[in-house]
Order: sequence, then structure tokens, then C-alpha cells
Amino acid sequence: MMSGNEAIAQGALESGIGFCASYPGTPSTEITASLFKFTEKYDIYVEWSTNEKVALEAATGASWAGIPALCPMKSLGLNVASDFLLNMNLSGSGKGGLVIVVCDDPRGHSSSNEQDSRFYAKAAQIPLLEPSTYQDAKDATKYAFKISQQFEVPVMVRSTTRLSHSRGLVETGKISKRKKRAGALPQRLYNVPTPHLRHRDLLVKMERIREEFETVDLNINSNPKHTDLLVISSGVSSLYVQDALQFLNSMNVGLLNLVTTYPLPKKSVSGLLEKTNDVLFVEEIDPFLEDEVRMLSGDLKKSPRFHGKRTGLIPSFGEMNTDIVRKALSQLNGTKAELPTPTPSMGRELLVKRPLTFCAGCTHRNFYWAIRKVKKRLNEKLVVAGDIGCYSLGVFYDEAMNTMQAMGSGIGVASGLGQLERFGFDSKVVSVAGDSTFFHACLPGLINARHKNANLTFIVLDNATTAMTGFQTHPGSRYQEQALRRVRIEDLVKAVQPDFYATADANDTKGLIELLHSTIIKDGLKVLLLDSICRLDEDQRDSTLTDVHFKIDADLCRGEKCRICFADFGCPAINWSSTSNQAIIMDAICVGCGACVDVCPHDAIKEERLS
Amino acid sequence: MREPFNILVAGVGGQGNLVCGRVLAEAAIQQGLRPVVGDTFGASRRGGSVLTHLRIGTRDWAPLIPQGEVDILLGLEPMEALRAAVEYAGKRTIALVSLTEVPTANVNSGERVYPPLTKVSASLAEHCKQVYMLDAESALLRAGSPRALNSFLLGSLSALTENPLSQDLIRKALYTTLGRDTINVTAFEEGVAALHQ
Repeated sequence: MMSGNEAIAQGALESGIGFCASYPGTPSTEITASLFKFTEKYDIYVEWSTNEKVALEAATGASWAGIPALCPMKSLGLNVASDFLLNMNLSGSGKGGLVIVVCDDPRGHSSSNEQDSRFYAKAAQIPLLEPSTYQDAKDATKYAFKISQQFEVPVMVRSTTRLSHSRGLVETGKISKRKKRAGALPQRLYNVPTPHLRHRDLLVKMERIREEFETVDLNINSNPKHTDLLVISSGVSSLYVQDALQFLNSMNVGLLNLVTTYPLPKKSVSGLLEKTNDVLFVEEIDPFLEDEVRMLSGDLKKSPRFHGKRTGLIPSFGEMNTDIVRKALSQLNGTKAELPTPTPSMGRELLVKRPLTFCAGCTHRNFYWAIRKVKKRLNEKLVVAGDIGCYSLGVFYDEAMNTMQAMGSGIGVASGLGQLERFGFDSKVVSVAGDSTFFHACLPGLINARHKNANLTFIVLDNATTAMTGFQTHPGSRYQEQALRRVRIEDLVKAVQPDFYATADANDTKGLIELLHSTIIKDGLKVLLLDSICRLDEDQRDSTLTDVHFKIDADLCRGEKCRICFADFGCPAINWSSTSNQAIIMDAICVGCGACVDVCPHDAIKEERLS
Repeated sequence: MREPFNILVAGVGGQGNLVCGRVLAEAAIQQGLRPVVGDTFGASRRGGSVLTHLRIGTRDWAPLIPQGEVDILLGLEPMEALRAAVEYAGKRTIALVSLTEVPTANVNSGERVYPPLTKVSASLAEHCKQVYMLDAESALLRAGSPRALNSFLLGSLSALTENPLSQDLIRKALYTTLGRDTINVTAFEEGVAALHQ
């Protein structure tokens, strides 16, 4: 059994890849993570790059030199890599073969937005494949390499969360152990002085690829001679369509499951459009395929009626599922009886949500606790421009973080806010980033802030690993694999020459409040590097503290009147006991960090050393 | 067997949802069937609600079970079982639910109240065809570890006549996935016994 992501990695291995460069991001991370296991066995080079643009540039370099290369990333990663993509597409990807995998996240389960990345394939005029099943995920990846090698264009494979993160059976093929040899680069790996002619040549290639797509057996067309309704679907949505159809026996429905969605195989699609009265589009996120087919229908003698996101029959946001398709089919069919019976709401009122929160002992909580205190001291005149990582949860922690957009945006936004005193902006400006994010996209913003003398405090919460996505190594990681050389955040920050720089222990809540306060009220560009700890990473490395534990002194605890430790500070290891009317520390969850000791205004939390 | 046969596992991150899905999928493969397992990632690490959708049949079914189509609901936690039942249970659903509560952070802090178990099970009964509320806690004490809840519930599921997978194959799949240590073996057999008490 393989997840969609593992199947994509398997497809790449069977295609004989030699190079993979990537930046971690849910739901794409496991593609690269599973290739890391085979570096020696199949002689492949795999790296976690500093960001997706660097990853795509590195992978392209390999492909130019004749080494087949894979570049997996999440939706937002392609935004970062797009600048390079929209140049390299015109120059071509060379003989090696280059496949970009982008995993979109409908509903934004693990993303800061909901984005359909297929438009990049159209913007860059490169071929796009959307596998539906686990087997497809492997087969489409292999086909993507074949097309890329044949036409020397990068090919995009698009997955979505449910395909990437669910598992099914996959038949595997042989993985070649052939030695890969890098050769000379092709000529003219630039578009000047005639980018327009390069564009023209790419369009010619894309027409030839369209011809190829007309006959490829990845596209499945199960179609009776005449249909009342043709359902056109792509990606994992095709499985929801097949599910929904089992509830509807009465209808004469044709199915077209397209894997090659750009460029659209015009002839075969047109042929089917002429034989049906109605068409329903089922796809994830935007009406990409729907619009392509609608454009095509302008050239037809007789056009069917179209239904989908453009007509409001299918929602234009959120994840697809069988129930949405079932409802749409019933409405088209006029058979309301076949709709699922609405679930009684009975019981819903009993449910208590499980809110996301920082882990027990996470030093990010200490930081935000301190920020909240400083904010109070400054009469709320403090703005925190945040960034992407575990510490993004700061937006849920009494809204201690005010803005959270893209990787590296915290320092960029702050460098703008830090210029606004001239317009009467009277809040102090703080920007927050994690260590992996610092390397990914914070350097240009930080340099801009220095160069322009922005008035702000930039705080790096440095737990020395990519915690959110599962502890991938980055340039500043505490633990580096062999042959990797650590790059220290401190050295880079000092080179930028901030007006004030200090480091501190993020486990010392009391000291943190004072340091943050005194730094934030200073003028100039100030940088704080906080030595932070990810407890999950520690746990993984089995280095958790075990020799101390903490107790609450019942005589000193003010209980219900206070509530600071369990409600305000909100460590999951501190509970309220209604039987004894006091706060209690749950030894099974407590990691023994002691951050709560200074949080208690009544000195009721005591450390006990185990002998 | 009904095509597809749908099993939904509901719990809290860290309770062993992933293992349940893995074991049952392995048993299905050994029985010559095609499983598809849809997991929730991300939030699971941080104590959020997690669901595993398992669909067993002769072809790849979609990774999410449609509303009302759950055949067996495996509840590792009572309120999570109810949360899943409200969304997905239907006329055929048989629920096997551990009685042991995992309180939420806002319950611990006194902001919210965990719903009374009597109300949870009454509401589950309204959503499902049949509900078994199982005392896993005392059984797991006998087995020697509260972490073997998934083995216990897999045992109960394997003893259910409506379950299409062979008990032997589930047992074997559990051993290959988690190892054949005494705790998991005892928890599994306790689960088998618990269903018929």
C-alpha cells in the first residue's frame, strides 16, 4: 500500500531520477521524505533546499545536465518558485527530464490559504497532469518524465490533500540501478534577446503535446453511445464521482476522467461534448477544467448545457466529497429521493471542539505570554507581524500575533510599518519568525529594514529544526547530517548590523518579559534570537528532562479566583480540578520545563528534584 | 460483503488511529480485497480530533466515506465517536466505543463542560443502528498499558459478526504492525471478550 505521495516518489524512482530538491510543506512533504530512504540504494541526490525557488533552480540545473530531477512542493511553494518557472519554461528543461509536483490543500487543512495551483501550468504554458488514484499517481509521474524528456519542457503533476494523504494498492515496477552521468549543458539557457520567439517555440511544443494527450490511456472515458449527462472530472474528484454514481442507477451517465488537463485534448473532448445534452464538472478548488472546456465549446456547432462551479451547482470553495457530487447529480436528474437523508442535528450541542494549542512545554507559549505582558505595559500599542510555522498558533493565543500571511512576510510587513511614525502610527512594531522560515524568506526583508532604518524589533524563535512539518534539516539545524555544514542565524544577523542584538533563553518567562520590554521601546532595528525548544523534537531524540517535577502548593493556590496558570497561560499540563478546587499539574503530560513557575503570581508552583 | 464496506475510526491525535487503519487495511489485503485508507494529518500531532476512513472493496473507492454510509464506527473516545456519528453515521452503522474520556484543553481549564456519558451514548444510539459502549480502561489495566486501546478495540471489532474481515487475519495484521508483545496480545483478547459481555 502506498499513499499518493509515496506513489509519486515510486514513479520518480521507476523513471530513473537522480536528483530531488524540495522544501517541506504539508501535504507534499512525504514525497521527498520517502526518497531520502533510497539515496544510497539507487544513487540519488536528495536535499531539503532553503526554499522552493532554490529547489526548482537546483532541480533544473540537474535536468539541464542530463540528470532526471523531481521537485515536489506545496501550493504556496509554487508561488515562491514561480518567478524562476516563468523564465525557465521558455528556455526548456534540457534532456534530463524535470517534473514539478505541486500538492494543493483544498479547505486549507494545513495551509494559510486555499489556492488552485493549476493556473501556473497555464501561465507558464507547461503540461499538467492530475492523477486520480494511487496507481495513477505513480503512472502519471512516469508519464510526466517521459513527456518532459521528449519535449524538454518541465511537466507539472498536481495532487490534492486527500490523494496525497490517503493510501491504496499500487503495482510497482522495476527501478533501474543504472549509473547516471551528467553531461554538458544545452546551449542558450536564457531567453534574451528574443523571449517572444522562445514563447512562440513553446506554444508549438504545447500543440504537439496536446496531440500526445489525445491518445494517452491515463484518461479514462467510460461512455455509452448516447448520454444524457457527461461528467468530466479530474484528480481525486474522479473517485467521488464514481462513488456518487453507485447511488444513481436510473441515469444514462457518461464519465470522462481526465488526467492530462492542460493542454486539453481538444479533439477527444469535443467528440464527447457533441454526444451529450448536459455536462457536469467535478474538480477541486477552482473551475479550471470547466473554463477550459467552456472555451472549447465556442467552436462547436451545438453546445451542451454546462453545470458546475460557474453555475453554482457545485461550491466554488472547500474540499470535494461524494455527497456534493451526489447532490448535484440528483438535482440534474430531478430525483431528490436519492439524496442522503439529512443527519439529525441531535447531539451536536454536546460536542466540545478540540482547539489547536502549543504543546506542553513549548517555548513559543512562553514567548507569546511575555508579548501579551509587554503589550499590556504599552497600553496595547504593539503590533506583531507574524509568519508561517508552529508559532502561527499565536493568532489563536489571545490574538498575540496580528498578521500572518506568507513565508517571510512578517519582517517585510514590519519593515513597512516601521516607517509609519511620520504618519502618526503610534504602535511599536514587532516581527516574529522561526528558524527555518528565517532562511526561507526573511533575509531580503531584514536587509531592507536595515537599509531603510525601519523602526522595529525582529524576533527569531529558534528551535533549530523545521518543527511544523516533521523536523527536516535546514541550514541552521542543531543536528546536521554528514557533509552538511551548519549556517548560524547569529552570524547572518550580525552581518546585517542591527542597532541592538541579544540572545535569550525562551524558557525563562520572567527574563523574557523584561528583555522584550526594554528592547521593544528602544528605537532602531533590533534583533532578538530566542533559544527555543521543540518538545516533540526532544521527545524524538529522547532527551526530555526527567529529574525534576512540579507541584502546586494547595495552601498558596488561589484557585478559581485566579485561573492564570490553567486558563490564561494555557499549558495543557495544568488542569483545573473542581473536586479539590485548585489547579493541578498532570505529571503524564508535564515535560518539567518549569515555565509556569514564574507565571503564578502567588508562588504556588514549586519545583521538586527527584533524587 | 457489502461493496464497499466502510469503517470509520474516530479519536484524538496520538491515540492510535493510524495503526487501526493500517492493521485493518493489511487484514483486508490478506483477504484478497482492495482497501483505501484516508487519514487526517497535521492536527493529529497536537491533540486534535482525528478520523481515519477505511473503505474495503474490489476497486479503489474514494478516500472519504459519504454521509450515512458508515458500516462500523470505531470510537477511541466517546465525544469523538459522537462527533463522527453526527457527520457520517447512518442506518447501518454499528458503533464500538471506548468509555474512557480524553478531556479537551478548554474542559481542563474549566471554560467548557465535557458532556455527560449518558447523554453521549443516548445521542450515539439515535445516530446509529447499534452501539456498544466498552469499558476499555479496566481491560487495559489488566493488559498492562493504557496505550493498547487500539489493540483492544480491534479485538472487539474482530468479534463483531457484521465485520467482514477474518478475526485471524486481523490478529495477524496486528502482530505484524505492532509486534507480538504480551500487552497487545492481551488487549486484543480482552477486546474480543468485551464485546460479548
